[in-house]
Amino acid sequence: MMTKMRGPTEIALGLGLFLGLSGGAYGHDPVFGPGPHVLFEGGTEIHTEFHRSERGDDTENEAAIALKYGLTGDWVVGLELPYQFVKESGERNDGVGDITFSTKYRFWRHDTLGVQESMAALLKVKPDSSNSGGTPSLGSGSSDTVAGLTYGYESLKWYRWASLRYRYNGKTDEGLHRGDKLLVDLAGGIRLTPPNYWKPDTVWFLELNGEIDERAELDGRKLSNSGGQEWFFSPGVMWTVRNFAVKAGVQLPLMSDLNGDQDESDYRARLEFEWHL
Amino acid sequence: MIPIRALFLLVLMVASSAWAQGPAYDIGVDGLSCPFCAYGIEKQLHKLDGVEKVETDIEKAVVVVRVKDGSTLDRNQAMKAVKKAGFSLRSFEQSEEK
Repeated sequence: MMTKMRGPTEIALGLGLFLGLSGGAYGHDPVFGPGPHVLFEGGTEIHTEFHRSERGDDTENEAAIALKYGLTGDWVVGLELPYQFVKESGERNDGVGDITFSTKYRFWRHDTLGVQESMAALLKVKPDSSNSGGTPSLGSGSSDTVAGLTYGYESLKWYRWASLRYRYNGKTDEGLHRGDKLLVDLAGGIRLTPPNYWKPDTVWFLELNGEIDERAELDGRKLSNSGGQEWFFSPGVMWTVRNFAVKAGVQLPLMSDLNGDQDESDYRARLEFEWHL
Repeated sequence: MIPIRALFLLVLMVASSAWAQGPAYDIGVDGLSCPFCAYGIEKQLHKLDGVEKVETDIEKAVVVVRVKDGSTLDRNQAMKAVKKAGFSLRSFEQSEEK
């Protein structure tokens, strides 16, 4: 049986589309999809990022700071804390969102002269930790988990990546289960100028990001205005100088097939600053 | 006016410190394709005792390491450092010129 969404439920679903989906990119990973990059052993990464998304009359701005640590040359763990500014259904709220714990393990690596091919498994856990009050709520209201696999090919000139992630959404206290999500990412990159260790380096990205959502359920009933799929075409750029990086990109809707009456995404933008110590 | 003897001693000290440089090593690294990633190699190599200077050539995928006078670097140390940075050692040899 299908049920139309109402008030708070609709708000929770709208938020859930973007929260916690941060790519959590490392180094030369794409801007929106993940890649297999990790950190060197004992290395620390300070990462700040800013997102903006618009969907119909709803907007969301998020600033997040993340800390990551390289356990080995192939294994990294991280912690991300977002601060959000949300406007939905004419109401505004801001505050600290849900904290996210992440880890990535590069289980396969093939190194040749000027080329690195690798694969990694990643896991992100986002407990329902936000205690900021107000409406719209800032956290997703549930504990969510993302697990995925990613492949990357990096050379002095060309880059390519592919990844597949599955997001399992928990149930909120109100009995809402936002639909689980499958995320598919394909990306390519090119460096137009040969790299030099002491000079700025620029890599241009082009990504295809797909998001396939199951319908949400409230008390066991499927919600009609939920679920569906959206695909994005996402140009981006990464600029680095030695151990400092700036990444930016925008997701532009390519195809949208959403169930029922739902606003399609207008765009999403991301700006990241990354510092390796 | 600086006495000529003092000037001579100063020049001698500067010159001798340059002559006192230890050996240099060429480390070939496979998988190296970007400057941002290469920073990890520099960090790992600088952790080794006696390492004075690390120079990275991304295009040639070679890292030149100079150690202090009286210090040495062996292949095993270089291999571990490169592995901790997330890459693979391709070659290791002492540079011909000091």
